[in-house]
Formats: sequence, C-alpha cells, structure tokens
Amino acid sequence: MKSGLGFVAAVNLIIWAGITLYLFVLDRRLKKLEQRSGMDVHYEK
Amino acid sequence: MIYKILLTIWMNLIIAAVFLYVEPAVGFPGEVSRILFFHVPMAWVATLAFLLSMIASSVYLITRKVNADFLAQSSAELGFLFCFLATVTGSIFAKATWGSFWNWDPRQTSIVMLLMIYGAYFVLRSAVPDYEKRRVFAGVYSILAFCTVPFLIFVVPRITTSLHPEDTLNPANPGMDIKTLIFFLGSLCAYTGLFVWMLRLKVRMLRIMDREQRAFRSNF
Repeated sequence: MKSGLGFVAAVNLIIWAGITLYLFVLDRRLKKLEQRSGMDVHYEK
Repeated sequence: MIYKILLTIWMNLIIAAVFLYVEPAVGFPGEVSRILFFHVPMAWVATLAFLLSMIASSVYLITRKVNADFLAQSSAELGFLFCFLATVTGSIFAKATWGSFWNWDPRQTSIVMLLMIYGAYFVLRSAVPDYEKRRVFAGVYSILAFCTVPFLIFVVPRITTSLHPEDTLNPANPGMDIKTLIFFLGSLCAYTGLFVWMLRLKVRMLRIMDREQRAFRSNF
C-alpha cells in the first residue's frame, strides 16, 4: 500500500460523512415539514 | 432509518477497502484504476435514473397521477447529477491515462450529448408555466430522451474506436480478480442505495412544495 492512499481514503471518508450528515439532516427537516403540514404518507392528488 | 445507517456503514467500508485493501488493476498507471469503484457505479446509477424517469413519465401519461411526475422529475435530476459526476471522474481518469482531461473520445462526446439532452428536459420543465401542460410535455420528452440513452451509452462508443476500457463486467472476460469484483459489486450496491435514499428525499421535497403551491394558489 502506498503512503498517500491513506490520506486519499481519509478525504473520501470525510466527504462521504458530510454527504450522509446532510442527507440525515434533510431527512429530519422534511419529516418536520410533513408533520407541520399534516401530510399523510399516501399523497392525495 | 436502519437501512440508511447500514448504507452509511457499508459505504465507509467500501471506501476504506478500495483504497487500503484492493490492489490496483494491472495495465493502468499508478493507482488511477481505483477510480473504477466510483466512476462505473455513478454511470450505472445515471442510466438507472434515466430509465426510472422514463418509466415514471409513461405511468404519469397513462394514469395522470402527480406522484409519478414527481418520481420522473426527481429521477431525471439525480440521473443528471450522477451523469455529471461520472463525466468528471472519467475526465480525471482520462488525464491520468490519456494525458489530457478532455479528448473528444466517443465515450466522452456521447456523455456530453446525454447531459445536454437531459439539460434540455429541465429547460422545458421551467419554460412551461401551466402545471398540467408542463407535466405532459416533460413526460413525453423524458420518453424521447431515454430513447437516445442506449444508443449514446452502448452503441456509439462501440461503433467507433475508443480509448475507453471495456469488458469490465463481461462474464467471459471479467478483467478483474475476485477481490476487486466483490468490492466493485459492493460499490454498485452502495451507490444504488444512495440513489434510492436521495430519490425518496427529493420526491418528498417535491410533494411538500406542490402542497405549499396549491395552498398558496387556493388563497387567491
């Protein structure tokens, strides 16, 4: 294994952590918005 | 929730393994072949997203259920995003192997054409003010746009000479050892899971926006 690969892996893991954190936060905010507007799971046309 | 946590752990394992455990492929300079674990899944997800957009558009045109249009729009947007990322990662690979980021290789040219075709889909969506007409036009366009996908992704790069490596998943000539294949397929699954997660979020977002717009319009 080359020495630089550990650094590249760490950068990729940080990017991935940022993406997942953003998606989890977005998920929570959407859930709150859905609850506030009383939206059901099944969308009505 | 559990599938999202599992996906996060799975993606972390894949990233760590492809850099620290899997050996680089023979025949490519340095460590550049490791981009395969990111570039190919992105291209796969883009194709899957465009296919799903076409199916959802067909469902919308038949049933006129607005949920199908949300799915079609979300899928096309994510397909565009992943197609763009596949283009960027492909350019990085091209720089390392062919000497420059852009070579007008048939594969590069066809992916740019695909981006332009789906870029026009969003232009069309934003150009029609009437909601019902917009959904119908976008649905028809999405079906027509997908007709070009097999041609641009599978046919064009094969009828002309291309620098792009082929046969990565050909069962007769896999071109990768079993360890690489396992993590490659693992990466494909992880990216597909990520796409499903993002797609569900985007559809929920569109539903909330649509509901807010309906409420706003009903007040006037």
